[in-house]
Amino acid sequence: EYEEKTGRAHRPLSPKQNVRKNLDFEPLSTTALILEDRPANLPAKPAEEAQKHRQQYEEMVVQAKKRELKEAQKRKKQLEERCKLEDSIGNAVLTWNNEILPNWETMCCSRKVRELWWQGIPPSVRGKVWSLAIGNELNITHELYDICLSRAKEKWRSLSTGGAEVECEDAGFSAADREASLELIKLDISRTFPNLCIFQQGGPYHDTLHSILGAYTCYRPDVGYVQGMSFIAAVLILNLDTADAFIAFSNLLNKPCQMAFFRVDHGLMLTYFAAFEVFFEENLPKLFAHFKKNNLTPDIYLIDWIFTLYSKSLPLDLACRVWDVFCRDGEEFLFRTALGILKLFEDILTKMDFIHIAQFLTKLPEDLPSEEFFTSIAAIQMQSRNKKWAQVKRILIFENR
Amino acid sequence: ISRNTMPGTSLEGIHPTYIYKVVLLGSTSVGKSSLAYRYVKNDFKESLPTVGCSFFTQTLNLEAATIKFEIWDTAGQEKYHSVCHLYYRGAHAALLVYDITNKETLNRAKLWLRDLEKEFLPDEIVIGLVGNKTDLAAEREVATEEGKEFARTKGLLFMETSAKSNHQVNDIFMAIAQELLQREREKTSIPSPHGWSTVNLGESGVRTRCC
Repeated sequence: EYEEKTGRAHRPLSPKQNVRKNLDFEPLSTTALILEDRPANLPAKPAEEAQKHRQQYEEMVVQAKKRELKEAQKRKKQLEERCKLEDSIGNAVLTWNNEILPNWETMCCSRKVRELWWQGIPPSVRGKVWSLAIGNELNITHELYDICLSRAKEKWRSLSTGGAEVECEDAGFSAADREASLELIKLDISRTFPNLCIFQQGGPYHDTLHSILGAYTCYRPDVGYVQGMSFIAAVLILNLDTADAFIAFSNLLNKPCQMAFFRVDHGLMLTYFAAFEVFFEENLPKLFAHFKKNNLTPDIYLIDWIFTLYSKSLPLDLACRVWDVFCRDGEEFLFRTALGILKLFEDILTKMDFIHIAQFLTKLPEDLPSEEFFTSIAAIQMQSRNKKWAQVKRILIFENR
Repeated sequence: ISRNTMPGTSLEGIHPTYIYKVVLLGSTSVGKSSLAYRYVKNDFKESLPTVGCSFFTQTLNLEAATIKFEIWDTAGQEKYHSVCHLYYRGAHAALLVYDITNKETLNRAKLWLRDLEKEFLPDEIVIGLVGNKTDLAAEREVATEEGKEFARTKGLLFMETSAKSNHQVNDIFMAIAQELLQREREKTSIPSPHGWSTVNLGESGVRTRCC
């Protein structure tokens, strides 16, 4: 019975299919083109016309064939490029794992490594490279992380049970202040990369992010939790194991620039902005003048960029590449990146007024072209009248005293 | 100051254009960004925490004038307080936002008011007190009367809003606009000692400390 059914489904070839069968090549895009004789109830085409139609049909098929061949070649090329890219990433992973990482101290500053570094660190070794480059000046151990975490957990417990006996060993920081911090952490975790859906309640990294931020407020109660930190911790969590992420987080925040910002040391922040403006004027004098004319001060856009290390304002893959070089070159690169962004959009920005520049820079386009972006950063000279970033900063700090 | 001013465009003096800087102040997570987003885009989405400041613009075509709002949406965390200080300089209006489900945020709004009072004379800035999140009525901690009464004693505009359910968000900005326009009219009818206020109908940025 089954055979009968399937047998019935096998109808004899239709005349159309017969026509097609004669063609040795059938381009997909011409499947709708059918060369047929006129139905029997109509007078037949004159031989001349039939000949002409056949010719036209063949021309169309040839054109389509050409086009499809071209497309196939393009696809092949794209595939080859992707393979090449994957190969180069694969090769880079090998180079990082087999050559650079085992000989870190001697190799990390070589020209070859610096160049490879600029290309972007392959995601599989990124965390390791960041850890090594950030270092562990604070000598934080995994045990210390556990201690800080268990303290944080105690505090959460005593808060949730409403216990008033919060230890007062961190004198000077009111219980209310710390409570606000812990509350705020909870609130901000769900607002950290919400579109990734991994840090939100129930997501795989929710507790990890909570733990690292909580442990940090116990490790550095004088700094506490400051908005923006959740983004930094989240980027580290994406690339490192929890305790290592905590170590990198604490050491990263301990760098002079990050300390100045996260303690909201206003005077020092202004010094950083002033140093930035020296290089801004040097690199982009026209845009600098335009910003001055419009009263557009660097705090308007730099605060968000520096506090979150670009992780909130750039697409995540670009932000990670900025982090790569930031880990290599230090704070200077954060300001160089800012200038790179300004340079990339210089033409648009010079046509805008204050509020539109402010709006644009605090919400950058989502489709930032990565190669152009890094070319633009590379074109920024961090040298002003023979002075480098660190020197300019030192002079300004000295003058501000 | 110059960027806050703009002479009237069409029919000078009859239909002027004013640019007003409005700054949103208040505790973290009371809904400052959401209010701005609702007002400008008429939409609601969960906002990321604001670090520093973000910016919005909105143009209002009223019968008497065209108003361009430049909205400065500031970071809420107390630690950013000294930074926000930078942002309300030169503001024409301020919205002090609190969360009706969190009493503490009203206290913070009161602190912001004290800061503004130090910086501005009463006629220099229009201040509105905004109790947000009326959609969470079940969790209310601050009675409507409490906010209203405080606003009355301090001479502030007052409204309860919900950015989420779009309750009175347009209204509070419209009230701010009307109040600013009213002040422009008063300014032009009472000549200032400098004798220039009648001329500068379109220059909202010019504020005198005299009257």
